[in-house]
Amino acid sequence: MQNSPTRRSVTAGLALGAISLPALRVGTASAQAKSVKIAMIAPLSGPWARQGQLLRQGADMAVEEFNSQGGIKSLGGAKLEIIYADAGDNTEKAKNAAQRLLSDHPDLVGGSGAWLSSFTLAVTEVTERAQLPWLTLSYSDAITNRGFKFVFQTSPTAEWQAAETLPTALKLAEHATGKRPKTIGVIQDNTASPVSFGKHLREGGGLEKVGLKATVDQIFTPPLSDATPLVDKLRSAKPDFLLLLTSAMPDCKLVLEKLDEFKLAKGKMPLVGNGAPFGSPELLNTIGPELLEGMLFSVANWPLKGQEEFIERFKKRTGEPFATQDALCGYGDVAILKEALEAAGAADKLKVAEAIRQMNLTTGPAAQFFPGPIRFDEKGRRQDVPMIFAQWQKGVPLTVFPEDRALAKPFWPSV
Amino acid sequence: MRTRAEANRQRWAILGVAVAVLVLSLVLLKSAYYQLVLTQVLLWAVLSLAWNILCGYSGYFSFGHAGFWGLGAYTVALGMMYFDLSPWISIPFCALVGAAAGAIIGYPTFRLRGHYFALAMLAYPLATLYVFQWLGYQELTLPMKREAPLLYMQFEDPRGYVVLALGLLVVALLISLKVENSRFGMSLMAIKQNEPAAEAAGINTWRWKMLALMLSGALAAVAGGLYAVILLVVTPETVFGMLVSAQALILALFGGVGSLWGPVIGAVVLVPLAEGLNAELGDVLPGIQGVVYGVAIIAIILLAPEGVYWRVLDRFSKRAPVSTGADLLVLRDIGISFGGLRALDGIDLTLPEGGLYGIIGPNGAGKTTLFNVINGFLDSDSGAITFAGEPITGLRPNQVCRRGVGRTFQVVRAFPRMSVLENVIVGAFIAAPTDAVARDMALAALERVGLVDQAEKIAGGLTTRELRLMELARALVPHPRLMLLDETLAGLGHDDLGGILGVIRQLRAEGITVLIIEHTMHAMVQLVDHFTVLDHGRLIATGRPQDVVRDSRVIEAYLGKKWSDRVAVPAK
Repeated sequence: MQNSPTRRSVTAGLALGAISLPALRVGTASAQAKSVKIAMIAPLSGPWARQGQLLRQGADMAVEEFNSQGGIKSLGGAKLEIIYADAGDNTEKAKNAAQRLLSDHPDLVGGSGAWLSSFTLAVTEVTERAQLPWLTLSYSDAITNRGFKFVFQTSPTAEWQAAETLPTALKLAEHATGKRPKTIGVIQDNTASPVSFGKHLREGGGLEKVGLKATVDQIFTPPLSDATPLVDKLRSAKPDFLLLLTSAMPDCKLVLEKLDEFKLAKGKMPLVGNGAPFGSPELLNTIGPELLEGMLFSVANWPLKGQEEFIERFKKRTGEPFATQDALCGYGDVAILKEALEAAGAADKLKVAEAIRQMNLTTGPAAQFFPGPIRFDEKGRRQDVPMIFAQWQKGVPLTVFPEDRALAKPFWPSV
Repeated sequence: MRTRAEANRQRWAILGVAVAVLVLSLVLLKSAYYQLVLTQVLLWAVLSLAWNILCGYSGYFSFGHAGFWGLGAYTVALGMMYFDLSPWISIPFCALVGAAAGAIIGYPTFRLRGHYFALAMLAYPLATLYVFQWLGYQELTLPMKREAPLLYMQFEDPRGYVVLALGLLVVALLISLKVENSRFGMSLMAIKQNEPAAEAAGINTWRWKMLALMLSGALAAVAGGLYAVILLVVTPETVFGMLVSAQALILALFGGVGSLWGPVIGAVVLVPLAEGLNAELGDVLPGIQGVVYGVAIIAIILLAPEGVYWRVLDRFSKRAPVSTGADLLVLRDIGISFGGLRALDGIDLTLPEGGLYGIIGPNGAGKTTLFNVINGFLDSDSGAITFAGEPITGLRPNQVCRRGVGRTFQVVRAFPRMSVLENVIVGAFIAAPTDAVARDMALAALERVGLVDQAEKIAGGLTTRELRLMELARALVPHPRLMLLDETLAGLGHDDLGGILGVIRQLRAEGITVLIIEHTMHAMVQLVDHFTVLDHGRLIATGRPQDVVRDSRVIEAYLGKKWSDRVAVPAK
């Protein structure tokens, strides 16, 4: 059958449209006379789009707030202009986004992103060569292990978190119950961050150091089809608590539901996790507050005392039930760049980078959005950062540690 | 296969385009971003060409070329991390890794065919992905070498990577050209078209397939190795993921499978399109870029289902018709080989419009091969075919059919579970704008062959005669100017024969030119106006039937030397 003219013109039109669409946007990017450009690369599409959106919402709020308060004072009230780029769903796209930003905006003075460690690794290969100061919340140690001079990691690294999580959890348990747990069960998947976490525990001697014995130690390849064999081992070994390191929500849900089925949930077996996904609204929606009640997790950044006003505004603006690491870091990274610009007194990336290196903030918006002082070592890692613990309490994950900035008191779930 | 002169032209074209790209990119592309995207275009083109060497030529589709790409990327990354191995050494080594992987994968997998092969190939990269995760290589970064960056392929100027990727693409193109123009490529193409026939013709199909997979794997791995150097970060998902395998396939399908330039065209259009959409729409309407990309691919597949390359070629060759007068079909110097077997050799044949022509010859003379060359199932190695003043050499069967060449087959290709009418309607789709018109045309064709009473019968229950007539009707539906009938009379009894001969004569009366193959001389002598005799791929006699049957070479071909001598002596 031959193509009818209508179908032909429709498809041709679509194809043309696809090619000419980019052209429509030329010239819409507004460049204000007096503005300082910063960038954010985040996954705005693909499987991590939601995290990217949260990051962006936080950054948007920061930019609006600082601009409405008079911009960068040391630069005569220059306004911040933030340029977003989509890191998409793979490292190639993330790297392209970075290269494109630098080509299109040679006047950038700093940036933040790109959420997923492997994206950040690729993005910073580009920004480092351009000597653009770059902030990131990604955990991977590799990011600041490469001898780079212009990359600043606002989160404590994965290895450090692996080293600090268990001692802090034990401290919490001992404080609450007066008894120090002796045995632990570990269930984890084999994706990047649980693997590096688990490696520290097993090969790095992380367990012996805190006097714990692993009575269950299971690694699975996601997706998990049935959690019964894993949870069955927990039921017979009965460790004092369970360290759950999953990166995909469905796997986490399967384990928790199976725990409930085996009557191990709701405090019978205390749960400790690591990473922001354990405190996400999605987890609450799929699992429900009951099964989550009491679950503890360590995380790089979580709503702290002193941010109450921001949290309310964030909830109102976005309709989210609570703020999470991503939105806080989006806001916090913009705040660090703003503080650096104030200190540098020039819209110059090298001076901004130097200002970040010299930074030692304990007050002000930047310090408010991260636990501990804003101070980087020569690798670009934060110094003197406390491990944050949050705990699900009545359907909200609340920061319970460190005490001075906690929003609630921790409890060690028990029978 | 191309002639030597044409291959030379292609080689110069490759070098010319490469030099042009090189000069333009070095001089005009100032932005590091465009240089990065250009490098990616070149690399993806190499992967797609690698895919094309196996899949485009041999017809064995692979959904798993990410396996080779990923092995290359990991070879370079691990080599640099653990052995301080420079990519200058490890990238060539990737070729060995890729070829070895090809051999290991090919050995069990070539026992499968068709979809089973494609699906089995899909499994390899996915399995390897888990292996690399299990080994703990979730995130590898190539260390930055500040001391001797050039020694580790780390260029300050991104144009260095453009040059490397371009060089690799030129190598890939030259290899592809070499394959196309050799026994290797011909054997692969024979495998694609009919593997048992190729095997029967003496081609060691297993060996050629293995070689193709190893070569394809080696190229893909080298490209993957360079990709690691450019991206500097290697994760199992980015190099072994489904997207990589899909990219190789989509680019080739888009540009034109089985053509030298198709994969390159695909990469040049689609990679920047995807990146451009990402850049322009990614932050405004995240996710929409994927939708637009998909729509663009679908649109172009609708407009050019064979791929852009073939489509453009068709257009181009349509605009330049070569007029040869009133001859309907002109064959000049047609030759084709299957491996070492010369199936057709220097065939010249001219059919004026409106006659009944016969081709006879013993089994294996090359009669059906000639039909396959005329209607596009096979590409001849040499020579040219002109139909109604237009060159049709190298066109696909459906395109030849659209130009007015109908055909039946030696073994009737019926759809046994469909009715006679439905069988014929399928042939009508090509010419009918709507299904209703197709039905009317099919009924008219059945009327012409006298099968209209059987229209509702299921094809599976027809007699040989009825099947032949049905196939004739199917070929007649689009109103062809030339009918190629392949042993339409074979296997028919005396009574049935009469009916079919009547229909064929009627076709001639209606002005359709008929070319019929037979190996039984008897029926043909009664039927045709003009005879052509083939033997061992050569045209040995042509002329009026009564003259041809007396030709000693014809008698020799049919009956052997003894008989031809016997006839020849009295004639002298």
